[in-house]
Amino acid sequence: MRSRQKELLGLLDKSGAELFALLTKLTLREDVTEELMQELFIKLNNSTGIGKVANWDAYVRRAAINLAFDWRRRQKQTILPLRQVAEPASNEDSPLGKLVRNEELQKTLDAVGRLKKVSREVLVMRYLQQESYDNIAEQLGKTSHHVRALCSRAIHQLRDVLGSNEYKPSKRR
Amino acid sequence: MSRIDENQIHDRLERLSQVEPGQEATDRAIKKARDALMSEQAIPKLRLRLPPILAKLAAAAVLMIGAGYIGGHLSAPEPMDMQQIQASLESSLKSSLEPALRRDLLNEFDNRLQLALAADNDALKQELARQVRRDMETYAEQTLTTVSNLMEQRLMNFARMLEEARIKERRHVAAAFDYMGSQFEDGLVTLAAQRDNQWGAERVGPTPEVSEN
Repeated sequence: MRSRQKELLGLLDKSGAELFALLTKLTLREDVTEELMQELFIKLNNSTGIGKVANWDAYVRRAAINLAFDWRRRQKQTILPLRQVAEPASNEDSPLGKLVRNEELQKTLDAVGRLKKVSREVLVMRYLQQESYDNIAEQLGKTSHHVRALCSRAIHQLRDVLGSNEYKPSKRR
Repeated sequence: MSRIDENQIHDRLERLSQVEPGQEATDRAIKKARDALMSEQAIPKLRLRLPPILAKLAAAAVLMIGAGYIGGHLSAPEPMDMQQIQASLESSLKSSLEPALRRDLLNEFDNRLQLALAADNDALKQELARQVRRDMETYAEQTLTTVSNLMEQRLMNFARMLEEARIKERRHVAAAFDYMGSQFEDGLVTLAAQRDNQWGAERVGPTPEVSEN
């Protein structure tokens, strides 16, 4: 067995569930996530330009983020809502309310996909995976302060993207 | 000016962070990924690494072959008239191949025709036998039905004739009895009248011969 396969199999045992959860958060579709998970590990296994990866865990996580957003770019028009989306307690339990909230999540993810690569990765690690700044900094090879700044900038950019997408003033008014 | 604020963005990101897949789907995905990795492992990749000297030799060989091709192309005599070659080839091929091809085609056609006819003949025979059997069965069934009906009709006629004859005979007997009864009654009346007359005469006695005047 090749050493990379060994490493990938070990990684699958150790972080498979976490990676699957990450992909599910980014695609909001379990069926697609299964395929992406498979694709991710096959790509990692066959990739020749990786060389000696120091931190496989961080590398695979970033690869998963990029793979999920690549999929979102390809599938922009036909994304279905996920049943397992956690609904916050609110009075808007109507189907229309759920639909609106799912649509908001989809738009947010699309907006995240439009950010720069590093901003996107930082945002996902920090806010979707709830990782600490230090941990993110270690994974990305940056300082904690730098990661903080990147997060703040990413939120501002996200607000601009979402604002320009969702709150365009109507010309008829 | 955007109207979405950071709190809303944080709220959405918070909701996204709470999305969790089911355990079953997670297990299934991990198993699929593992299977995919293992199947990749089962197919070893052939990776040839040539030593640098071989690569250089190969490049030199390619260059030499290219140079030879170009040299040969430039030093080659004028090409022949292609149309002439094509015409001569066409005529020679036609003369040699056409009769054989025609013969083969005819033989093939005959064979296929014979096979098709034989197959059709068998099928026709079977179809005819089936048709005859069907017709015979229908005829037998119809005949049996007709005979049965006819027999039943005749038996009913016979029974009706017997009944009529019996009724007629009874009528004759009844008439004979009536006649006999009437004759007997007339005889009895006559007998009674005669007897009555006889009794009357005996009661009166003989008539006197002398008158009182």
